[in-house]
Amino acid sequence: MADVSPALSRPTPLPRRGLERLDLMLLCAEALDLNGGEAMVWMSEQLGFQSLFPNRVELWKRRCHNPLRRTTRRGQLQVEDTDALIRILTSMAERLYPMLRQLLSAAEPEAVSEQRWALFRSRLQELIQERLNLRRVGVRKLLDPIEGPQLCHQLILSLALSAGTGGVERLKASLLDPEA
Amino acid sequence: MKLSLRYEQISCRLTVEGLPDVSTGQGGEAVGILTGWSLALAGHTELEGRREHLEALLQVVFPYARHLISGAPRVFGDADSPVAIHPEGPRHRLELRSSQPDTPPLTLHIDDAELADLVRCLDQLRLDPRLQLPLQTPTPQPLRRSELRKRVPLARRLAAPICGVAALGLAGAVSLMMPTPKPGSVAPAQGSRNSAVSPPDQRDASRPPGAAGPGPAPTPVPGETRR
Repeated sequence: MADVSPALSRPTPLPRRGLERLDLMLLCAEALDLNGGEAMVWMSEQLGFQSLFPNRVELWKRRCHNPLRRTTRRGQLQVEDTDALIRILTSMAERLYPMLRQLLSAAEPEAVSEQRWALFRSRLQELIQERLNLRRVGVRKLLDPIEGPQLCHQLILSLALSAGTGGVERLKASLLDPEA
Repeated sequence: MKLSLRYEQISCRLTVEGLPDVSTGQGGEAVGILTGWSLALAGHTELEGRREHLEALLQVVFPYARHLISGAPRVFGDADSPVAIHPEGPRHRLELRSSQPDTPPLTLHIDDAELADLVRCLDQLRLDPRLQLPLQTPTPQPLRRSELRKRVPLARRLAAPICGVAALGLAGAVSLMMPTPKPGSVAPAQGSRNSAVSPPDQRDASRPPGAAGPGPAPTPVPGETRR
């Protein structure tokens, strides 16, 4: 595992926006992988987080701290939980990296690339409609036909740049960004 | 014996050559002295350099990727730096300046996928336990509010203050166009208002003595008894 930088080693809980982005990126991983929910549990076991997330319900309960969720949980999420979720996400991004790369590549034929993006966006929209509160402005932006594709591209680029062990610190620093 | 470490992704191959530093007790598999490196990006000229060039590459590419994750891309590397990277629409412009005079900088245009490959190669290099070099890499930090504000387009950021100033200007112009009241038209109104109110002593004088009315209650004279 990568050494956590001194600036990030002190336990700082993720702000509200950070929790939203973390859960949205996990949702993107699920949209890319049809068996994403299972893969997340398996990855959690592989990384040794059984004590934190002994079953899928516990994992789901932590993710429900996202304020954009349809059934959101109140209270502060522990730093150990967010760190574990970040590591699960970066490991999943590493596993899904070939797909992320295909989506981002400008060398791919435009028609094929557009088809891939349309498939990803439709899966993500299904997950959003199923799990997130559609009255929230942030959620409506994701479903917006103009703003939605740009936000999806940003999420996929963030996933690609934070894939693997080397991306853990970068992603964590990004999720700790203050609100603009 | 010279050692070669190779880090590969689909469109990127980074090769580092060096020797173990036996003076510090490094084993045969470790690279403690860097003799050269090369970076091959698919479809672009292969780059070569010394240790300071590799460090300059790490110094600009990692913070650039860090800013991209937050959706706030900006230029890294100034005019004197051997490496600079600029956001350029959907692509990224990587500029490499030679230390030799009269040599124009080499410019590479890479897309998001190629940039992600490059970042992953550099991550592999940074985390490789065989490479025992103290390479200077910047620590990722949360961005400042001012940096994040740049994510919003300038027109949208300026819309609210411009509308406020315009509304203030319009209100000022309308108030200037309103006719000011003339002094002559104000005087009679003041006179009539004054005439309607008579001084208290006048009112007392006009009232017959002992008449009941809505005036102020008479002050009892000390020593006088009331029935």
